[in-house]
Amino acid sequence: MAYLLKKATIIDAQSLHHLQQKDILIDKGIIQKIAQTIPNEKHKIIENDNLYVSQGFVDLNCHIYQPGFEYREDMNTGLAAAANGGFTTVALMPNTLPVIDNKGQVAYLKSLAKNNIVDIVPIGALSKNCEGKDLAEIYDMQSEGLRLFSDGYKSVENAGVLERALLYVKKFDGVIMNHSDVRNISNDGQMNEGVLSTKLGLPASPKLAEDLMVARDIYLAEHSDSRIHFTNISTENAVKQIREAKKKGIKVTAAVNAYSLLLDDSLLLEYDTNFKLNPHLRTKKDIKALLNGLKDATIDCINSGHNPKHNDEKKVEFENAEFGISALDTAFAVARKATEKTLSLEELLEKFTSNPANLLKLQANKIEEGQAANLCFFNPDEEIVFEAKDLESKSKNTPFLGMKLKGNILGVFNNNKTK
Amino acid sequence: MSLLSQKHLLGIEHITKEDIKLIFETATEFKEVLQRKIKKVPSLRDITIANLFFENSTRTRISFELAEKRLSADVINFSAASSSTKKGETLIDTVNNILAMKVDMIVMRHPNPGAHLLLSKHIDAQIVNAGDGTHEHPTQALLDAFSMQEQLGDLKGKKIAIFGDIKHSRVALSNIYCLQKLGAKVKVCGPPTLIPKYIESLGVEVSYNAQETLEWCDVANILRIQLERQDIKYIPSLREYNIAFGITKKMLDSLDKKIVVMHPGPMNRGVEIESDVADSEHSIILQQVENGVAIRMAVLYLLAGKGS
Repeated sequence: MAYLLKKATIIDAQSLHHLQQKDILIDKGIIQKIAQTIPNEKHKIIENDNLYVSQGFVDLNCHIYQPGFEYREDMNTGLAAAANGGFTTVALMPNTLPVIDNKGQVAYLKSLAKNNIVDIVPIGALSKNCEGKDLAEIYDMQSEGLRLFSDGYKSVENAGVLERALLYVKKFDGVIMNHSDVRNISNDGQMNEGVLSTKLGLPASPKLAEDLMVARDIYLAEHSDSRIHFTNISTENAVKQIREAKKKGIKVTAAVNAYSLLLDDSLLLEYDTNFKLNPHLRTKKDIKALLNGLKDATIDCINSGHNPKHNDEKKVEFENAEFGISALDTAFAVARKATEKTLSLEELLEKFTSNPANLLKLQANKIEEGQAANLCFFNPDEEIVFEAKDLESKSKNTPFLGMKLKGNILGVFNNNKTK
Repeated sequence: MSLLSQKHLLGIEHITKEDIKLIFETATEFKEVLQRKIKKVPSLRDITIANLFFENSTRTRISFELAEKRLSADVINFSAASSSTKKGETLIDTVNNILAMKVDMIVMRHPNPGAHLLLSKHIDAQIVNAGDGTHEHPTQALLDAFSMQEQLGDLKGKKIAIFGDIKHSRVALSNIYCLQKLGAKVKVCGPPTLIPKYIESLGVEVSYNAQETLEWCDVANILRIQLERQDIKYIPSLREYNIAFGITKKMLDSLDKKIVVMHPGPMNRGVEIESDVADSEHSIILQQVENGVAIRMAVLYLLAGKGS
């Protein structure tokens, strides 16, 4: 079946057709033709009043809980949610059971995603069993094509371990990704420390816990002259420090979870566990700083931060509830809504496509004739309200149901498939 | 239904000054009942109350049970360590099981802040918070303010100091809300590691000096210091706490006024409070306990919609 996208505005800075409205013919997984008008010869037509096309989105912070926690999300449902959200590549966090800390586990994950419309890139555990003690067999995993190594949502507390990891990956120009949280400062905090946490009587973690580790990791990256990626920053000071580090030429990159751009800690007023997130929801001031950081390219990427949990893990007392939400389906609409006044569509799409793709050193799939069709088509300006049935994820725990968001993902092409 | 502005008593934060006044008026009447030879009234004879204690308690549980029995309610008691419910049956399931046996009201103590609010969204029965983690303990705050009022009259403009572990105290937070609603000024005093960073945003003052705070206040409400329950040691030792923040008779004698000394119990004599203080004429600690029953009777009675 050949597909014809009619009057699609192409957003792809690497393409000759960037910012132009064209017809695009896709057949056998290849972009066969891009032209002002392509006559319809029994192609399946894809059209919309406001049709846009970009490279498929790439997510660098995503939990799909297979193996070990399939009741939250398995590979099939997770990747279906990814495609539904416009993603054609997702980098998977290693915090599964067992953790992804060896080549065999990497191969197993890849086998689960074989022939899927969405490609996966496992993120290898930086330390054995994500315990933050001894380095995992990073070179062996790298031979499977991995570039990013991290202990996932477990921050690496031991500075020496992180330093060794940074040095070790230099052999292949790898990237170390760390969740910034000094745990003996955050101290099992359930939310951001502030006026509301004081009123709610909840153990809270100060922004300091994140800021301190960002500071430490910048020093470590500078010292080892290696690459560090801050995977989900959420504070004003983190943005500030990373901006300075980039100015100095230190090899830092940064990403933010989409939800951190739209939600603040005041939403926790009624102990709603759908707002229990890690990194915690911060303040409006932090959101402003994050938006500025995106604008001036201090922050390179926007993640889904997909961390789905089972309803039973959420429908309990706040302190007993798990952190995290289902986010792949909604990430783009959340980010688009949050940045509607600050980022152009082009700027926003960079954070979802080329920037994360570069970090993974993925082969670029330009929107050009003869290239493999790895792309996402959408209406960027349509108001959208998600209901539970619109989510492909197994987990429906998201605070975004019923909320007015912006940007409707109409579908993706990848691996000679479409959805 | 409830004669208070709320269906449940989840905390002081969400009730009004008028609610507090009505509770005090009603408690005054019940206090009189408790002086009679027959200390029992039939008001709640058609009501079944479950006391669910997911955290250890002696005096609060007994005080509630006594209040319920004085009102002729049918009472059932349930106690469970928090860990067993965390791993097994969920809170909502446990409570629904009990409610299936036709219970009208729930008095619950629970280690997690917000547990009562969660429950209120899933069940019909009325809920009285008997302490939720480090959040609120509304009936304690009510009986504290009621006891203060007995000593000082109207609390408007009165100066109340709360000493001790403010960070981990539900009594402190509920006291702050209650006293502020009644127009009192509140100061908290303790080591900086036990004072929440943002407490001043609630409109209270902070002091790290016990003597100065005593000189400032009309009432010293002294909270229990517990080292054993803290995962992290926020203070080096009880000995040092006693030296820096323990309230002694000598300190009280140095003041040029007579202040009221309170403690929600259980006391650690020789740690946060010296025996000579606890047993002194300044102390109204046992009146607090006595008033606790009357206050809890009033709360249950009003929530059940009895009276006019």
